[in-house]
Amino acid sequence: MRIRPSPSAVALAAVLAAGLQPCARADEPSIFSFSGYGTVGAAHSSNSGADYLVDEFKPSGPGHTHSWSWDVDTRLGAQLAVTPTPRLSAVVQVISQQRYDGSYQPVVEWANVKYQVTQDLSVRAGRIVLPIYMVTDSRRVGYANPWVRPPVEVYSLVPVTSVDGIDANYRVTFGSVAGTLQATYARSDSHFPDASGFDPGTARARHIVAVVGTLERGFASLRANYGRADLTIAAFDPLFDAFRQFGPPGADIADRFAVDHRKVDFVGLGASYDPGRWFVTGEWARFDTHSVLGAKSAWYVSGGHRFGAWTPYLTYAREKADSETSVPGLSLQGLPAQAAGTAAFLNQTLNGLLGLVPSQHTVSAGVRWDFMRNAALKVQLDDVHVDSGSRGTFGNFQPEFTPGSTARIVSAVVDFVF
Amino acid sequence: MKLRLPGGAILLSLSGLLCTGAGAADVVAVVSAKSRVTALNSDQVADIFLGKSSHFPDGTQATPVDQSEDSPARERFYAQFTGKSPAQVKAYWSKMIFTGRGQPPRQVPSGTDAKKFVAQNPNAIGYLDASQVDDSVRVVDGR
Repeated sequence: MRIRPSPSAVALAAVLAAGLQPCARADEPSIFSFSGYGTVGAAHSSNSGADYLVDEFKPSGPGHTHSWSWDVDTRLGAQLAVTPTPRLSAVVQVISQQRYDGSYQPVVEWANVKYQVTQDLSVRAGRIVLPIYMVTDSRRVGYANPWVRPPVEVYSLVPVTSVDGIDANYRVTFGSVAGTLQATYARSDSHFPDASGFDPGTARARHIVAVVGTLERGFASLRANYGRADLTIAAFDPLFDAFRQFGPPGADIADRFAVDHRKVDFVGLGASYDPGRWFVTGEWARFDTHSVLGAKSAWYVSGGHRFGAWTPYLTYAREKADSETSVPGLSLQGLPAQAAGTAAFLNQTLNGLLGLVPSQHTVSAGVRWDFMRNAALKVQLDDVHVDSGSRGTFGNFQPEFTPGSTARIVSAVVDFVF
Repeated sequence: MKLRLPGGAILLSLSGLLCTGAGAADVVAVVSAKSRVTALNSDQVADIFLGKSSHFPDGTQATPVDQSEDSPARERFYAQFTGKSPAQVKAYWSKMIFTGRGQPPRQVPSGTDAKKFVAQNPNAIGYLDASQVDDSVRVVDGR
């Protein structure tokens, strides 16, 4: 577990300390509540030339490495919440799912203390959710969502779910419209596997600032958010240091693409309408790293109809690169043969990385069956169409993989809560 | 773990079908006769039960009380006031719980227990079959 002497540790300590308090009176509900969630499921990809990766944390997936993979959606989460007073509460959530290193070692997803300052204002400190999507905070809780997994095109833009820091949440009502405003300041360290053919190692995000506004009226809700961070991925340094050996033209390229204290920004918009019998929901988001990681935007629209315990649904999702996926790089003209060889190699490496920004669309059809009170079975088909020249949201590429190919993903999962 | 057999769920949904037939009693929202709250509309009741609001419109704290998941009154209450089926309410709370935004209302086994709890607690709000209402509680649902 990656527990660090941070605010999360304070939250853990608070939960443990609360555990030592004398028991609450018998006629009061317990100050502790334990709950959990999980998913057991398998997914298959028809394209054996590469692995289908639902986010950048996955070291492998269905396709090349496995015909059927249990690792895409299977997970178990457990949460202990303590509410010693009506104003003060603490929560610790631990989750076990396939990590960047392939293991299922549990990690602390959340560990925070919340204080209700007034009826409408609360503040939290510790390990908290990074609030950038409509279902960010419950994207791991399959049971809470209609789909097998949130649309990959949008939700893989930023795969990070939790950060260490503080947030404040303010609730405001205008007549029949309920609004919330949330502001977060945090940091995070994330580890990534090398499934894309390049090992980015650790991504250090500092000074993460996120602001989210939501409006809800009747069955309709709207959401807008903006976030920025200072991102450093040291694994890219050797490449750009090599570019700098080539004088001012190389330095220009390094300055443009290096991921060294780079300001990255994120914008998201979402809307949903859910009168009960049916629902429709959609999101648009754009992530611009101003670096070799590129700029990408994505959106989806999804709708479903509830027939008793059965909820069939359809989703269309699109992701595209908003930045150049290849550049001329260093000019080889006039360079001595050996230097020209090095420059050509650097250009090729840079373009290989730029070309990883996915452009694709997916048409999904699925059905959710609430077969018992705390569990739902879902089956989903995704037809993934990768744009020509792009590698899409795939990885572990084999020689037979051709950019611009298609894949059909078949998934079946059981989601449960307890 | 509170996982149950699918058979139970099927029986429940069958009994739900039977109950929605002719003669099904209305479910009403109630507060204690000692409460100062006199009228609430369905949305205000729904907000309190879904944890969107922790207080009555006059600013006093609201303590909602649910009946057990087996209670037919509970299913009708959520259908009537929130438009959500039991599975949707469950999915809603799993979202709230696992985002640290709240915990579902406390639960009592039956309508009789709910009435007793509400009658004794000026901050409480519950729901009952209209036939169970007596002068210990006040119906607040103004629609």
